[in-house]
This record gives sequence, structure tokens and C-alpha cells, in this order.
Amino acid sequence: MEFSFSSSASKIAHSTAFTSLESGDVLMIGVACLLVYLAIWKKFEPLLLLPMGFGCLLANVPMSMMASTDSGGLLNFFYQGIKHEVLPPIIFMGVGALTDFGPLLANPTTLLLGAAAQIGVYMTLIGAVFLGFNMQEASAIGIIGGADGPTSIFLASKLAPHLLAPIAVAAYSYMSLVPLIQPPIMRLLTTEKERKIKMEQLKPISQTVKIIFPVAVTIVCCLMLPGVTPLLGMFMLGNMFRESGVTARLYETAETHLINIVTIFLALAVGSSMTADSFLRLETLKIIVLGLLAFSFATAGGVIFGRIMCKVSGGKVNPLIGSAGVSAVPMAARVSQKVGSEEDSSNFLLMHAMGPNVAGVIGSAVAAGVFLSLFGDVGSSIDTHAALAPVIGNPEPGMQAIATVVEAIKQ
Amino acid sequence: MEASVSAAVSVSLLAMSVIFMVLTILIFTIKVLVKLIPYQSSPAAPARKIVGSSTPGQDDQVAAITASLAAHMGKRPDEFRIVNIQSR
Repeated sequence: MEFSFSSSASKIAHSTAFTSLESGDVLMIGVACLLVYLAIWKKFEPLLLLPMGFGCLLANVPMSMMASTDSGGLLNFFYQGIKHEVLPPIIFMGVGALTDFGPLLANPTTLLLGAAAQIGVYMTLIGAVFLGFNMQEASAIGIIGGADGPTSIFLASKLAPHLLAPIAVAAYSYMSLVPLIQPPIMRLLTTEKERKIKMEQLKPISQTVKIIFPVAVTIVCCLMLPGVTPLLGMFMLGNMFRESGVTARLYETAETHLINIVTIFLALAVGSSMTADSFLRLETLKIIVLGLLAFSFATAGGVIFGRIMCKVSGGKVNPLIGSAGVSAVPMAARVSQKVGSEEDSSNFLLMHAMGPNVAGVIGSAVAAGVFLSLFGDVGSSIDTHAALAPVIGNPEPGMQAIATVVEAIKQ
Repeated sequence: MEASVSAAVSVSLLAMSVIFMVLTILIFTIKVLVKLIPYQSSPAAPARKIVGSSTPGQDDQVAAITASLAAHMGKRPDEFRIVNIQSR
């Protein structure tokens, strides 16, 4: 091979990514740096936004093969976990292992607060349709109001994969802003007297009930809305690990290492989908605005229903716990506690707010299930070979080889 | 599916109804479970026997401990008093 210094230097200069860098890439690198800044210096959901921002940075380096669409690239492999609905359910298993249903079981009517807070999802759905999105897209945007990252990603990957990146960014950004978004709405919709209501001590719950509950939820919800089984089923499995008392190792793994590992993959994969083509669009701005509306309406829905429960119960329910119905565990419950203690420092609402908080997780999963029933392809079989082909190539030759070996052994 | 605001409102009403129905079923399920399997507090741990003052059978033990402690601390036995012995 002929070698000259000038030709080699020219070849290296042409192989750098600078030659392919476009204005969109530069802007997206700026967005990536902003996400990293918000995660590190503003502490906005750092566990998610930091890897997401860095994934975005990697994806927007030209010729790096790190975008989710770059077949054969590293992050394309991670993205298959979203595309084939693997990563969000595993995250949900970890969340289930971290969740204590005790407060919910002690006061089951707070499940209604988790349902009422889903009003944010549907107000956003209507708003999104008004802004020109189709029903599938509007559903994926609306679920931001569920304040549940994995559910948002799960639904977006099924109904509107082209909107996955802005939906995930909006969901996680607003989740981190819950302490700023919720308190003004909570104060606006409640009176001082209502905010000072002290709730009765929660009754203890039998361990057997805690074990049976995940099975009951799985049977009831998954039979009614089979599309949500991957999410809700894994959530309840994680909780079974926790409550059964016989799977300590699985419980510890699910609530720590597994959820951490999968969070890295999930956030990097979402970040890798944030390319200029998919993100720098008018739709992204609309989604960011709709996301804020979703959180606001969800909070308002929970608080208003909390007031109704307060009236019906004769003043035994503090309406502030209604805002915790927006999922965002446990931050929304902490906000209820904080706003309540501002009025009366001896008022402890945290455990009472945990009931609607975990009810919000179930409520948002059920809301996603309703969308999947209406607009998804629930129950359709999946061609496993076709699904795996982008990941591991065509598996057929491998299967044939195994069959040949088995045949040879038989002979 | 046609994406009109009226269709979105219909979907929203239907979906909220389904959510409330599913969660209401869960509320009743929980209430039945809690009724059928009430919480039972775990049996209290056996109370430790606390001896405020030495009983007749322990006099010799108290004397032995007092003597040992006095020797260890370099004090006279009447300079301190053992007030409590807990059996493990």
C-alpha cells in the first residue's frame, strides 16, 4: 500500500465527524448538555436525565453509530429493549419491589384518588387532539399525566414510537418538577381549614393480605385489560418478591442492582432516540406544553376528588393527599406532607399520601391498558424470528444447525 | 380512528369510567380480604425477669458479684450497691 504523509493526513481529516456535523447535530448536542446540566447541578431526576442526556450526546455525534436507528450500533441494541417492551416492565418489577402497599390496604378508598388524578391524562388527550395529533399520538402524550416514566415509555413505544424521545423527556422533566408544579395548585384548590385536617392512624394489615393483594390485582386488572399485563404483572411480581418473605435474594436484586442496570439501559436508549430528526420539531414544543398541562390537571383532579372525599367522610380526609394520586412515587407524597406541615407542623400526612401515591401507579397502568385496548394491537401474536432478526440476525440457520446435530445424534 | 375533539371526549369519559370501575373492584377486593384475614399482632416477647432487689436465692450470687467488682474496681464492697440483675 502506497503511503504518503499528506494523503494520510487528508484521509484522517476527512474521517473525522466534523466534516459531517450539521446544525441540527450541534443543537442536539446543546440539548444533551442542558439535560446533563439539569441532572447534575439542578438535581432534576439525575438517575434518568444524566444517562439520557449522555445518550443524546452520543447519538448526535455524526458517524458514531450510536443513534437508536443505527442498525448494529451499541445503543441500537439497548433500544431493542424498548422496542420489544422489555425494559419498562423490568423497571416496574423493581418499582414493585420498592413499593409498600400497606397504606393503600389500610385505607383502600384512596384508590379512588389514584383514579381521579388520571383526569390529567384525558384532559391532555383532548388537548393533544385539539393541537392536531391523531388518537394514538394523543394517547401516548396524554399518559405523561400519569407521571410514570416507564408507563409513558411503554405506551409511546407501542402507539407513537416516533414521539418517544420528547414524551420521555417531558415525563421525566416534569416528574422532577413535581415539588414546584403541585404546591400552588394544592393551595389554590383547598382552604386553610382543610389543609389542617389530621387523619386517623392507619390500621396495621395482615402479612397474608399483603401477599394475596398482588395476585388479586394481577387477576382483576390483567383479565380486564390484558394489554397492560407486562407492566402490571411485573410490578406485582416485584411486590410478591418483597412481601412473600421467601425470596430475599430476588427482592434485594430487583430493588437495587437490577433496576439500576435496567435504568442505565433504558435512559441511554431513550437518549439515543433524541436525534435532530426526531426531536427538533414543532411537535416537541407542543408535547412539552401539553406535559405541563397534564401534570397540572392531574394534580387538580386528585385534590378536587380529595375535597369530595373530605365532604363525604365528614372531614376525615385531608384533600392534600389527593395530589399524590399522580404517581411520581414517592415525591408526590412528600409534597402532600410538606404542604400539610406548612399549615400545621404536627400534621403527618406522608403515610396517608402513600396510599393514593401507589394507587396512582396502578391507575396510570390501567389508563395505559385502556389506551392499548382502544388503539393498540392487544392479543396479536408476534413473529419471534422477525422480532429477533434485527438483534441477533436470522435465527433460522442456527435452529436448523441444532436440528441437524440432534438428528445426527439420533442416528 | 378519526381524531376529533368529540371523539377524544368520548374516549376520555369511557376510559375514566373503566378506571373507576377497575379500581372500585379492587377496593371491594381489599375490603373482603381485610375482613376475612384480619391483622393479628404477633405474640408479645416473654417479659424479662427483672429483679429490683436480690431475692433470698440470689444473695450468694450478689455477694460473689459484689466481691468480684470490688476487687476489680479497687473499692470497698460498701462503696457501691448492685440494684438490678437481669437474667438472660
